[in-house]
Amino acid sequence: MSTMKRGGPLEGVRVVELTKVWAGPYTGKQLAFLGAEVIRVESLGSLDVTRVYGVDDINNAPGFKAVNPQKLSVQIDMKTEAGIKLLLDLLAEADVVVENLRPGAVTRLGLGYEQVKAVNPDIVYVSMGMYGSEGPLSYQTGYAPCFAALGGLSSLVGYEGEAPTGMNIRYADSTFGTTAAFATTVALLHRRRTGEGQFIDVSAVESMTSMIGDAVMDFTLNGKVAACDGNRHAEMAPHGVFPCQDGEWISIAVTDNVAWQRLVNAMQAPELAEYASLADRKAREDELEARVSAWTSTQKAESLAEQLQQCGVAASKSLSSLDLIANQQLWLRRFYQQVSDQHGQSRSILGPSWKMSRMASVVDDAPALGQHNDYVLGEILGLTEQQQQELAAAGVTR
Amino acid sequence: MTALTATKILELTNSVSGEYCGKLLADFGAQVIKLEDPVNGSPTRRMAPLATAGADPERSGLFAYLNTNKRSVAWDVHTDVGLTTLTQLLQRVDVVITDRPVDGLKSIGLDPDTLATKFPRLVVCSITPFGAESVSEPESGQPLHAEDLNVFHSSGWGFHTPSAAQISRPPLKGAGRFLASYEAGLEAAMCTVSVLFERETSQLGQFIDISTQAVLASRADYVLGQMIAGDMNVSNDRTAYDLHGPADIYACADGFVYIWMSAPAHWEALSKMLGAPAWMEDFPGNWLERDCTPERVAECRQHVGEWLKTQHKAQVAEDAQTLGLILVPVNNPADLLSSPQYQYREFFTELHHPVLGAVDYPTVPYKLSKTPATLKSPAPLLGEHNVVLGELNAEILANGSTAERNT
Repeated sequence: MSTMKRGGPLEGVRVVELTKVWAGPYTGKQLAFLGAEVIRVESLGSLDVTRVYGVDDINNAPGFKAVNPQKLSVQIDMKTEAGIKLLLDLLAEADVVVENLRPGAVTRLGLGYEQVKAVNPDIVYVSMGMYGSEGPLSYQTGYAPCFAALGGLSSLVGYEGEAPTGMNIRYADSTFGTTAAFATTVALLHRRRTGEGQFIDVSAVESMTSMIGDAVMDFTLNGKVAACDGNRHAEMAPHGVFPCQDGEWISIAVTDNVAWQRLVNAMQAPELAEYASLADRKAREDELEARVSAWTSTQKAESLAEQLQQCGVAASKSLSSLDLIANQQLWLRRFYQQVSDQHGQSRSILGPSWKMSRMASVVDDAPALGQHNDYVLGEILGLTEQQQQELAAAGVTR
Repeated sequence: MTALTATKILELTNSVSGEYCGKLLADFGAQVIKLEDPVNGSPTRRMAPLATAGADPERSGLFAYLNTNKRSVAWDVHTDVGLTTLTQLLQRVDVVITDRPVDGLKSIGLDPDTLATKFPRLVVCSITPFGAESVSEPESGQPLHAEDLNVFHSSGWGFHTPSAAQISRPPLKGAGRFLASYEAGLEAAMCTVSVLFERETSQLGQFIDISTQAVLASRADYVLGQMIAGDMNVSNDRTAYDLHGPADIYACADGFVYIWMSAPAHWEALSKMLGAPAWMEDFPGNWLERDCTPERVAECRQHVGEWLKTQHKAQVAEDAQTLGLILVPVNNPADLLSSPQYQYREFFTELHHPVLGAVDYPTVPYKLSKTPATLKSPAPLLGEHNVVLGELNAEILANGSTAERNT
C-alpha cells in the first residue's frame, strides 16, 4: 500500500513494473495517471532499450520520457540472487506487478506468479505476452506490428483491391497496454471487495482482434472475410479522405440521405441530389468520390471542414503532427501539460486522455535511473543506510 | 465468480463506443441495463454485419457482439411517466454510460455541475468524439458532427496511416469501421472501474469525461510525446510517425506476411534463412541500425519480396521463428478461428441467439484466474427485459423510498 498522495482513483495502490519498451510501460503509465504509485525496477546491466535508443544520456532519452512520466525508478539487478530476494521483498509490499519480459523469463528469474504469491498471496499479477502466457504459440515473440498482423487487424487496412498496408507502424503497443491496465483495475476492484488477488494473462494479439470484433463477427456469422476497402464504409457513402490544397486532406462521412443533400448543396451540385439513397450512392461510389475530390481539391482543408460542419456534414481535416501540436481542442482539455524533473526542469507531456471529477495530479517527469532508490530501499523496505551501501557496493542495486 | 456482479449499470447510449464500454463491464458480470427507444431501439440494431437470412429487425451481428450479457428495457423517456421512471432508476444504479452531450444530461441532473448534489454516489461516464466540453459550432452551439473516420483523422493516426505513405494517395481510415470507438470504450471502461474502486472507500461518484480524439492521440505517446516536448520535429510530413526501414507486409503464395527488421541480429537471421545469397553481401552487417538508406531499403524489399512470393505463410513463419527472424502471417478472421493458439485460449465462445442462432463470438484478450470474463447470455431482444421495471417498482415499494442509496 502506497503512502504517496497524488489523488486520483487509484491513490494508495502500489504497482511494481518489470517492463520494457512500450506496451508494459504504457500499462504502468495509465495506472500512474489514475493515481497509483508505479515503481519501475531497472538496472544498468539490463537497461530498457528506450533509455539508450539514439542518445548518450540514459536519463534524458526522449522516447523513454514520453512513456514513463509520473513513475519512480529503483535499481535492482535481477541477475543476482540478492537482487531477486530484494525484489521479492518489494513485491511483498506491492498491490500489483506488471511484467512484459520475454516468455518464461520471470519464472526463470524466480519471479513467476507462484513464486511471488508465496510472499504476497493477494497480489494482482499481470503478465503481458504477444500470445499470452500459455498455449502452443506462447513461446513466440514479436514487435507491435506483428501483434496487429497476427490479430487480424492489419488485413483490414489498405487500398481496395491491393495488398494490405496495415496501420501506421506505431500502432498496437499502447492499445495492448491499456487492455492490461483495464484488466488490472477490474482485479483491484475485486480485491478491494473480497481481499482476493489473482493472475492476469493478457495477449497482445487478441487485444488487436478486439479492435475489429464486428469484422470477425461478419466471418463467424456469414463466412465473409473482409478485404481492404480503402476508406469505404458499408453504411455510408461517400465515406472517404479527399485531397485539398497544399497536400492537405479532409475526411468526410455522409451519414445518411439528409447529410448527402446538405453536401450536394454545399458543393452547389444539384444534379447529384438524385442519388438520394445509400443504394444509389453505393452504385455510383467511384463517380461520386471523383466529384467530391474535384470539389475539395481547390480548397483549404480546415476552412472546408468548418463550412461542412456548419451545414451539418461530418467532416474534419486530417491532422498532421504540426496540426496536432496546435490543436485547440487538445489544449482546451489540458491534454498537453507540464511536469518537472528532480532538478525543477519542466517538460511538456501528453497528460491523461480523460477528465474526471477527482483527477490524480500529474506532476513528475519520467525518473532518472535509480532516482527513487532511497525511497524504495529506505522507506518501503526499511533498509538502513549501511545496508543500502552494502547492496550498492555489491552491485545489487546498480 | 465474476468481478463486477454487484455493480448495476444503466446504458444511455446510441453509439458503438458506449455499447462496447458496457459490454466490457457486462462480460465481467456487471448488471447492465440498456435503455432503448421503444420504436427503433439502438441504432446498432440495424447495422452490419447482418445475418443473411430474412429481414428480421434482430439480425444485426454488430448489435449481438456489442451487447452480450446485457438486458434491454424499452420505454420512452420523453413522456412524464418515462422521465419519472428514469429518475427512479438513476437512484438505483451505480454507473451511467452515456454518449449524450452535456446539455442533454442537464435535464436529468447528470451533468457534471448537478451530479454531485443530485446523485452523489453515481458514476457517470460520458464518451463523446471531442470531450464533454468540446469546441462547439459557434452559431448553433451543437457538438461537432463526427463519425469514427473524422475522429480518427482528428487524432493524427489517419494522416500517418499507412506507414511509408505515397503522398498522392489518400491517408487511410484504420482497421474496420469502429477502431476509434473501441479504443474509447476500452479507456472508458478502465476509468469507470477505477472510479468504482475509489468509491468503495469514498462512497462518492464522479463524472468521467472521455474524448475519443484524446484517447487516440494518447495512443501515439511514444512519438507525439516527444513532439510536444520538442524532442522530435513536427511537420506536415505523412511519414512523421514512421520508423524507416524494410519492415513491411509482403505478398506470399497464399496470402501475406509481415517482416520486422531493425537490428543486425535480424539481418543475420535473414541471411541464414535465405542461405546467404550474393545480394546480401553488398550490405554492411549493421546497415539496419547505421546505414539504412532509401536505396538499400528498396533493394532489400525487392529481393525479400521476390523470395516471399514463392513461400507459404504458415510454414515460412514457423521456419523464421526458429531462426530468430521476426516474420509473422498477416491473419484474416478465418485464420483466427483456426489458430491453435486461439483455440487453446478459447478465444471464441459459442452463444445461441434466438434470431442469429448458434454463432462463435470473439471474447476478451485477458484471462483473469479468479474472475474471468465470460459470455453467458446473448444480446437482448428489444424490450426483452421490460419486466425489470416491474422489479424496480416492487423494490421501490418494498423499501418505501428511493432516497437512501444515491441521494
